[in-house]
Amino acid sequence: MPSDSSSSSSSSSSDGDDRNPNSDPNPDPNPDSIDQSLDALESQLASISMSSRSPTATIDDEEVAEEEEEQSVEQLTIGNGPLNEEIRAEEATDSVEDEHIGNNSNLRAEASGVINTRPSSLCRNISEVDEVERPLSPSSSGYAGERGSTSGDDEIDDDDEDDNEIREVENDGVLESHAQWVSGKRHPDEDDASVSWRKRKKHFFILSHSGKPIYSRYGDEHKLAGFSATLQAIISFVENGGDRVKLVRAGKHQVVFLVKGPIYLVCISCTEEPYESLKGQLELLYGQMILILTKSVNRCFEKNPKFDMTSLLGGTDVVFSSLIHSFSWNPATFLHAYSCLPLAYATRQAAGAILQDVAGSGVLFALLMCKHKVISLVGAQKASLHPDDILLLSNFIMSSESFRTSESFSPICLPRYNPMAFLYAYVHYFDIDTYLVLLTTSSDAFYHLKDSRIRIETILLKSNVLSEVQRSLVDGGMHIGDLIIDPTSRAGAVSSHLGQPRPATGSPGRIMDGFAGIGGPAGLWHFIYRSIYLDQYVSSEFSSPINSLRQQKRLYRAYQKLYTSMHDKRIGPHKTQFRRDENYVLLCWVTQDFELYAAFDPLADKALAIKICNRVCQWVKDVENEIFLLGASPFSW
Amino acid sequence: MPSRRRALLKVIILGDSGYVNKKFSNQYKATIGADFLTKEVQFEDRLFTLQIWDTAGQERFQSLGVAFYRGADCCVLVYDVNVMKSFDNLNNWREEFLIQASPSDPENFPFVVIGNKIDVDGGNSRVVSEKKARAWCASKGNIPYFETSAKEGTNVEDAFQVIAKNALKSGEEEEIYLPDTVDVASSSQQRSTGCEC
Repeated sequence: MPSDSSSSSSSSSSDGDDRNPNSDPNPDPNPDSIDQSLDALESQLASISMSSRSPTATIDDEEVAEEEEEQSVEQLTIGNGPLNEEIRAEEATDSVEDEHIGNNSNLRAEASGVINTRPSSLCRNISEVDEVERPLSPSSSGYAGERGSTSGDDEIDDDDEDDNEIREVENDGVLESHAQWVSGKRHPDEDDASVSWRKRKKHFFILSHSGKPIYSRYGDEHKLAGFSATLQAIISFVENGGDRVKLVRAGKHQVVFLVKGPIYLVCISCTEEPYESLKGQLELLYGQMILILTKSVNRCFEKNPKFDMTSLLGGTDVVFSSLIHSFSWNPATFLHAYSCLPLAYATRQAAGAILQDVAGSGVLFALLMCKHKVISLVGAQKASLHPDDILLLSNFIMSSESFRTSESFSPICLPRYNPMAFLYAYVHYFDIDTYLVLLTTSSDAFYHLKDSRIRIETILLKSNVLSEVQRSLVDGGMHIGDLIIDPTSRAGAVSSHLGQPRPATGSPGRIMDGFAGIGGPAGLWHFIYRSIYLDQYVSSEFSSPINSLRQQKRLYRAYQKLYTSMHDKRIGPHKTQFRRDENYVLLCWVTQDFELYAAFDPLADKALAIKICNRVCQWVKDVENEIFLLGASPFSW
Repeated sequence: MPSRRRALLKVIILGDSGYVNKKFSNQYKATIGADFLTKEVQFEDRLFTLQIWDTAGQERFQSLGVAFYRGADCCVLVYDVNVMKSFDNLNNWREEFLIQASPSDPENFPFVVIGNKIDVDGGNSRVVSEKKARAWCASKGNIPYFETSAKEGTNVEDAFQVIAKNALKSGEEEEIYLPDTVDVASSSQQRSTGCEC
C-alpha cells in the first residue's frame, strides 16, 4: 500500500487500523458478524474473570492521559496490554488471543465461501450504476421526511452497508418497503438471531440501566430484549469490579459503550471509524434523546428502576435513524460546527434583521434554516446556541413528517443549552426546504409566535430572501472548479462572488496539469474549512470524481479520521498533516483561526497541494461574507 | 392509548438448580453470570415480552450485584425437588434478591417458585414434597408454585402466564411525564462554554 505520511509535527500513529493485531492485509469484503464479536468479547471477559483473582489483573486501569472526564479510562484489549501497547502485543500473544485469531480466520473462510457462490461482479455493477445515475446533489441531505429529493431509500439504508453485497442482494428494493420507511424502523422483523441483522455494519443501541431496550437501529427492540440484557450485563459485570468498560475490540468490530446515568448507549461497528468518532456519535444520539425528553427522565428511573422509557419515545425511531444516517453524510456531526446556506451578504442581513426584530419579544432563539443549513439565527440577550444543538434540532424537525404539514408548537430541549428543561419550539415551513424555528420559554406563546412568523414571512417575501434561498440551493456554494490558482488574476473577480454564472472550464489562470476535468486545480477534489471563532464550516460542493454518495461517505470518513488524529490529545494537537493513501492525498492544516481539510488526487504533488490550500484559505476569506453568518456568532453576543 | 402497547418485563431466575430449558444456550453464564432469553407471552388481550435473565444453577455462588437485579419485574426461584439443599436455599435466594434489588414494595414483589426435575428417576429420588414446597410458598405471601420436568419443561408456560398476570396487577399506574420548562429569569442559567468537545 502506498502510504506516505509525513508532516511537520505529526505522524500517522493514531491510525486505529494499525493497532489491530488481526488486521488482514487482504481487505475482506465481508465483515465479521456480530456473534463472532460477541464470542470474542466473551472470551475477553472470560480472561478478566479468570485473572481477576490473580495479582496481575487483565483489565488495565491505565489512565490514558487525555481524558479529562471523571470516568476511569479503561481499555479491554485482546491481549494483556493497554490499547496503545497493542501493536507490541502482536508478539506476546496469549492463549486468548490465539483463540480469537482462530475465530477470525474461521469466519473469513466462511465468508469468502459465501462470496464465491454468487455473481459478485454483477451485483457490484448494478449497485454502482445505481449510484452514478442518482442526481449529484450535494445538498440533498437524505432526511427521511424529504421525500421529494431522494430517489430511493436504498442509499439511506446503505449507510454503513456499502461493502455488504450480500445484504444488497437480499434487500435492495425487496424487503425495504415504503411502509417501513414511514415508521422509521428499519428491518423491524430482524432480531439477533437473524443472519442479516448480524451482518449489519453499524448497530446502535439505547437501553436502560436495568437492561430494558429503548432503541435499536435495526430490528425490533422487544425481540432484542435478550441482546439488550446481555449488553447491560457486560456493563454491569465490569462495573461490579469497580471499573468502566469503554471499548471492546473484537476482530474487526468495535463495541463502544457510553454510560449516561441510567441510560446506556452502545455502538457495535466494523466501519473502522476511530473510537473517538463513535463515542462522539453516541454522545449525539444521547443528545437527541435529551432533546426529545430532557434529562428529567433520570428522575423516572430514580423513582422506578423498572421504568420502560419506550412509551415516551413512541414514534421517534425516525429521528434517531435519521441522525445515525447523518453520521455518514453530515460533517457537522464530527466537526461540531454548523454550516450556512451560501447567500449574498445583503440577503442574509435582511433575514437577520427581521429575526432580530422578533427576538426581543419573548423569543429566546430565532432560526431560519434551509434543510440542515442556517440562513440566519439570532438569540436574545446573552443566550447562546451550540452547533450540536442546531444539528439535533434541525434533525428532529426535518425527520418528523408532521412539522412539514402544518405549523407546530412542540416542547423540545436543547441539551447544550439546558439539558434539564424544555423550551417550546414554534416551527413553520415556508416551502419544502425552508423553515423557521422560534424558541420560547412560554408554553402559551403559540399565537404570539404565529403573528411573529407572519411578520417575518411578509418581510422575507418582500425582500426576496426565499427566492434567493431557492437559487442558492440550485447553484450556490463553493465549486472547486472556480478556484483561481493565480492570485494576480483575482482582479477579474471570477470567484469573489458565489452563485454567479461560472466561466466555462479552462478559464485562464487555472493550471492545466493533467488533472483538468477531474476536480479543481492541482488535483484538488474537495475541502472543508472550519472557522473556529464562528463555529461554522464551509464545505466545497461535490464534483467529479467524488460522484457517488458512496464516495462522498468514504471521503467524510477519511476526514473524520483525520479530524480525530489532529485532535488526539495523546499525540497532538497538530498543526499540519499530509497523508497519502491509495484513495486520496489528504491535507489538514489547523491554526488558531481555522481548520482546513482538503482532499486531492492520490497522485497530487505535495508542494502544489500546499499552495492550493493557501489559495483555498484566501478564497474562503474573499467570500466569507456569503458563506458564513458574520457578526452573529452564537457565542459572541 | 399507550396502555395497549406491548409491555416488557425483566424476569430474573435464581436458584441452585439449573433451570432447564432447551432454548437457553449457556453462552454467557460462565463468564458474566447469566444467560438471556426473550419470550413472548400473551395474557388476555395484552402482549408481553419477557426478558429472562437466567442466573440459576451455577456451581459456585456469586452475588451478581445490584446491577443485575435492577429493575426486575419478577423473580423466579428454582429448586431441584431431588436435592433438599436447593430447597433450603430458596430463602437465601429470596433474601438476596430483596436486598440487592430493593424493590419499592418488598412484601408484594412478585415471586414465582419452580420445583424442577420432577421426572428424574421416575420421581423416586424426590426428597421435597409438593406439600412442603407449597407450604413454604404460602408462608412467603402466597408465592405461585409450579413443578416442571427437566425434559419436557411442562408447566413452564403456566408460570409465564402468571408472571404476566402479576405484572399487569402491579405495574398499571403510570405517571404523566412532565419536565420543567427553562426559566430564563433565574440567574443560575447555565451557559455552554463554547469549547469544541
